[in-house]
Amino acid sequence: MHNPLRLVAVGLSLAALVGPAVAQEKFPSRPVEVIVTFGPGGGADLMGRQVSRLAEPILGVAMPVTNISGASGNAGLTRLLTSPPDGHTVATLIALSVSSWAAGLGSAKPDDFQVVAMMQNSPSMLFVNKNSPFKTAQEFLDAAKQNPGKLRVATSGLGTQDDITVRYLASQGFPTKNVPFAKPAERYASTVGGHTDALYEEPGDVAQFIKSGDLRPLLVFNDERHESFPDVMASKELDLAIGDLPNFRTIAVPANTPDEIVQTLADAMNQVLDKPEWKEFCAATYTCTETMSPEQAQKVVVDFHNTVKGYLERFGQEQAAK
Amino acid sequence: MDVFDLIVTGFAGALQPFNFMVLVIGLLVGVIAGALPGISFVNAMAMALPFTYLMQPISAMAFLGGIYAGGVFGGSISSILINIPGTPASLPSCWDGYPLTRKGQSRRALQIAIVASATGGLFSALLLTFAAPPFARFALRFDQPEFFAATVLGLLSVIAIAKDAPVISMLSLFIGMLIGTIGVDPMYGMPRFTFGTDAMQSGINFTVVMIGLFAIGEVVDLIVVKPDLSVRKGPGGQSLSGRDVWAIKGSIARGTGIGSMIGMIPGAGATVGAVIAYGVEKQASGRGREFGTGVPQGLAAPESAKNATTGAALIPLLTLGIPGSAATAIMLAAMMLHGVSPGPLLFTTDVTTVYTIFAAMILANLLMIVAAVFVARGFSTLMRTPPAILGAFIIVLSVVGAFGVRNNFFDVWVCLAFGVLGYVMKRTGFPSAPMVLGVILGPLAERYFLTSLATYENNYLIFFQRPISATILGLAGLFILWSLWPLIQPLLNGLQRKSRKGFP
Repeated sequence: MHNPLRLVAVGLSLAALVGPAVAQEKFPSRPVEVIVTFGPGGGADLMGRQVSRLAEPILGVAMPVTNISGASGNAGLTRLLTSPPDGHTVATLIALSVSSWAAGLGSAKPDDFQVVAMMQNSPSMLFVNKNSPFKTAQEFLDAAKQNPGKLRVATSGLGTQDDITVRYLASQGFPTKNVPFAKPAERYASTVGGHTDALYEEPGDVAQFIKSGDLRPLLVFNDERHESFPDVMASKELDLAIGDLPNFRTIAVPANTPDEIVQTLADAMNQVLDKPEWKEFCAATYTCTETMSPEQAQKVVVDFHNTVKGYLERFGQEQAAK
Repeated sequence: MDVFDLIVTGFAGALQPFNFMVLVIGLLVGVIAGALPGISFVNAMAMALPFTYLMQPISAMAFLGGIYAGGVFGGSISSILINIPGTPASLPSCWDGYPLTRKGQSRRALQIAIVASATGGLFSALLLTFAAPPFARFALRFDQPEFFAATVLGLLSVIAIAKDAPVISMLSLFIGMLIGTIGVDPMYGMPRFTFGTDAMQSGINFTVVMIGLFAIGEVVDLIVVKPDLSVRKGPGGQSLSGRDVWAIKGSIARGTGIGSMIGMIPGAGATVGAVIAYGVEKQASGRGREFGTGVPQGLAAPESAKNATTGAALIPLLTLGIPGSAATAIMLAAMMLHGVSPGPLLFTTDVTTVYTIFAAMILANLLMIVAAVFVARGFSTLMRTPPAILGAFIIVLSVVGAFGVRNNFFDVWVCLAFGVLGYVMKRTGFPSAPMVLGVILGPLAERYFLTSLATYENNYLIFFQRPISATILGLAGLFILWSLWPLIQPLLNGLQRKSRKGFP
């Protein structure tokens, strides 16, 4: 005699066994949520939305964007780490968040994440107002030397790579005043309006001011010049060894995500990087980067974390010595 | 092309069937989202963003502009009808809007709000159209000390507008400012009052506080106290007459002026504009003592001010590429995703796009009257639902809304905690509006203060040395004296009497 209840029970337990197995077999089997770790309108948001738009047809599932801002991106990253590591949740992981860990914020570390792909990368630059008396980087640095701490550099905050660069310049005999602005918009307005002497920023975020001539680039913090700005000196040419703080933006998943899923996502991301729409986007924001494997991209993040940590320890000790 | 040709081209673009359609849909979505307690129009804009991917940039901006203009107004519908602000900027509209409803004049109150909002919005859209570039250059002369001074004016307005004793309101404001310090501080990246938890590092969001204190607090009160709500079910009183509109023309003009100025300052936005406008109106209208009992002027001024910030906020966005608020940041994202970067160059490279956006904003404010009437009628019907059902509905919306602000579940707990607090405050008569405004304005004031000092060599006098900030601070000082004069006068008289006794 068949007991209908028993049949149902057997069916359910079979389904329970098969369910996860099926989910592991095929990825993606449902929408992939893209957590943007900053609010709408910023660089990370634009990247996340372009990724979602361009990767949807490749992965064949919807990729809804969720903005979870707060604590230098750590609020969204915490959400990623508490989501199941099955590739159906990915997040933007950018240099600012990584440097915030080195500065002691949050409890995350590079090992908690598996970077899927390097999407954007750009060195930071020093900009001045169009009416600024400084025509070259050398003039700016000379003025900093002659008037220690008088020149004001607008940055994104203390303990960030902006701050590290200002402190590095000070350690090389070019002390300037770090003026931190929490809101990017206010930071740009401050230099465009002539209230601060210089701005530390990556070129993509102030592209409209560069093109309109309201901001003039003086210096690229990199070992070589930027191909879009061939006339702008690189920091290495002035014997400044501060070319190791790139502004990167990656897509990451939790560290314990299965390798095949990471690879599927990485392949999709690399196809996005090859699309003409993406090429146009990264050219307009000066952030085009070479295609990297997940391992290579992960190494960039780990190295950056160590570099920032190293700088902070060094400056911390110098300050303690004073 | 001269300006008028451009405007004609702009209107031709905005009136194209598809653009016009998305503008109207945007308006309706905005008014409804704004009016629902808990759900803010900023949420609605963020949710609408993916829909704009497939549109032309102009349609995308018309759609988002419609939600923006409609949403800033919509928040007042629930302020007026159920004393729960739909958005933070509609907080001051509760103070004289809800008392009108209690008097059985909800229809008149809604009409005042619609007329005032549409006038304010329309004026600022025209300001945007005809004066955007010069105003943008003017706005650039504002620096951190000026922003700080404007925020101080906002903080002082909170005390000036207090219905209750100033000391208690000040206490509530300070508690709010203290709550605003929770989280990672924006300057040094140091966690404050986070008790070592990751969840607290993101800070306490003011919208979540507002939803908790007002929406949840009010609903709990509604269910526990079972107040007599029969007045709400009435016909809604008389319609607005031409004479009524004439009587509030000064309030609308003052509100519009204040809103347009404040709107241009990045970061301040609609809430600050509405609060300052209410405070100024309380002094300027000559009926200050009656404020809080359902005075039309007290509703018209903040209404016109908050909608006047919408067009003004687009001035720095379009001309400089600087978004001043969450709503304009979403519009920036929509433009950038289409490869249109707002900024000085937009006016040379994409001038028809710019003028189409202008035309869309003008149309949005004109059409808002129609959209608002429809939605308000629907919501008036909602008022006839039994309190228990309405209450459950609002609590669900509040929880969803608190989560939706940052997609953060911790915010739901924060919202519920403030709901309990809101009920206790309501029962004990401790004012809750200053607390919300403290959470909004406190962090702004702190940031502007610290950045000012960092920019100007830790010179504490800088706020008085720069002409614009000194003027604003001077006005703030006069303002506080003026509004507290009824309290100060008896003290002075008392002193005089004493001294007369002393020296006969």
